[in-house]
Amino acid sequence: MRVLETTKLSFAYDDGTTALRDLTMTLDDGEKVAILGPNGAGKSTLLHLLSGFRMPFDGTVAVCGRKLEQQSADDIRRDLGLLFQDPDDQLFMPTVEEDVAFGPRTLKLDDIEGRVLRGLRSTGIEHLAKRRPHRLSHGMKKRAAIAGILAMDPRVLLLDEPTSGLDPKSRSELVRLLKSMDRTMLIATHDLEAAAEIVDRAIVLNVGVVKEGTIRDIVTDSKVMEEVGLELPAISRLFKELDSMGYPVEALPVSMDQAVAELTKVIDRVGRQARSRGVTKTAGQKKKT
Amino acid sequence: MIVLHVRTGQAAGHLDEHARSVWFGKLDARAKILGIFAFVIAAALLTDPVLVMCALACALVTALLSRLPPRHLAKAYLAALPFLAFASFSVFLFAGFERGISMLARTSACVIALLVLATGTDTFELFSGLRRLRVPGILTTLLMLTHRYLLLLSEELDRMRTARRARGFSGGRSLLDVQAFRVLSNTAGMLLVRSSGRADRIFEALKMRGFSKDMRPWRETRIAALDAAFMLALVAIAASLLLLQMEVFP
Ligand SMILES: Nc1ncnc2c1ncn2[C@@H]1O[C@H](COP(=O)(O)OP(=O)(O)O)[C@@H](O)[C@H]1O
Ligand SMILES: [Mg+2]
Repeated sequence: MRVLETTKLSFAYDDGTTALRDLTMTLDDGEKVAILGPNGAGKSTLLHLLSGFRMPFDGTVAVCGRKLEQQSADDIRRDLGLLFQDPDDQLFMPTVEEDVAFGPRTLKLDDIEGRVLRGLRSTGIEHLAKRRPHRLSHGMKKRAAIAGILAMDPRVLLLDEPTSGLDPKSRSELVRLLKSMDRTMLIATHDLEAAAEIVDRAIVLNVGVVKEGTIRDIVTDSKVMEEVGLELPAISRLFKELDSMGYPVEALPVSMDQAVAELTKVIDRVGRQARSRGVTKTAGQKKKT
Repeated sequence: MIVLHVRTGQAAGHLDEHARSVWFGKLDARAKILGIFAFVIAAALLTDPVLVMCALACALVTALLSRLPPRHLAKAYLAALPFLAFASFSVFLFAGFERGISMLARTSACVIALLVLATGTDTFELFSGLRRLRVPGILTTLLMLTHRYLLLLSEELDRMRTARRARGFSGGRSLLDVQAFRVLSNTAGMLLVRSSGRADRIFEALKMRGFSKDMRPWRETRIAALDAAFMLALVAIAASLLLLQMEVFP
């Protein structure tokens, strides 16, 4: 089922800045899609617009089959869980658990305690339940904010730069968390590397749609990468390097999983060659480093 | 009162955790609010210097018994002292030394009692307590939002101060430093812009979570014997102070 659909969506701020132009996109149930683009590309604007906070706009937006309008905005928001770029905007209550309970409580949902527990558990912050949200580390704030969204059990997660401002460890933990979550999500980010780990499909946005496809499609299109100033994931750079050093790469890997698969192939091939030449192991080991 | 809460809260980060761990913090917020307010009203009405001193003593004893960190209470009290001293000093000028001192004691008694309430009660408990005492929902929600926005302003100010320092600004100590004034007025302007953008986003975040206007306490608590005892004790103290003042007892 189609959960999100925009056609010819355009939006300009009061001061005349055009933030979105002729954006047509879809998101299906169960899909994870990334919106990639540099700063100022309109990613945040898009997510806030989808949540009904940027009115009026040109074109149409449909969420779970309902047309987004002033009157339907409140209802539509119930299907959406928006993670703000800055968790400080989102965290409100004096303790983490109260903050997580805030949404379910105002919406008068059932089983609040259970929801809070599940939200905290799936983001791995049960131990922080009684802490003050504003004094947590940035990474933990993001998790608390995500827990607050999960507790409301929305159909679609809209995540605005979920990995920005995180140190490498909490970043990779969050990536793993988002990857493991079985939910429909739209992730706005300029972190190509994280997107590659999490999503199936991506849309490159720079006010309008620049390109749409798998992350690999995008990464291998150097013109697009140049135009919007996206940086190649480190793992892809490594394999490009290998390629130019004479170890041919069949398909440029963009995520760790793909890299492992590719590496296995390379090692296999080199191993076979080496064996046929009567040398073993040493060559294969060299490849790994 | 909210400002008091924000300021004391800012001064010591771990405070709310602490507030919840001492017995005073665990009391029902309604009992605390009613008890403390009864005491404050009575103390404000006292005129007899001896009774005023008694009230001050009661406030100090309550502060001690509450087991709240005394250093922290003292710090918050010192922050309020200039205002108290100023008021008392003008009384002293017009009505003499004794009146001045008794004014200082009276206002101190009230402020100390309120400080104990503000620091010893979890923020949300305080507001939901008021709500459950039938204060209109729109009012408590406004208070709650005001509280959040004040926190926000002070956070933002902190960050900008750090940013300014990091770029080598150290003025602001002398009123004659024009350059410093310029930087500071810029800061004030930026603060408004930044906080208003942020305020919009906070409101959006609230709407995202279905917020309309009312805030309900999450766990319904009952007034237990200890809560009732605390409240009655304070009300009794307030009443006897007032009765003594009216010379009901010979
Ligand atoms: N409240 C606003 N008023 C005016 N212009 C804005 C506002 N918010 C964002 N913009 C502008 O809209 C464009 C898109 O911004 P944004 O959606 O925040 O981009 P991104 O999230 O991709 O970095 C930028 O040029 C930005 O300056
Ligand atoms: Mg953004």
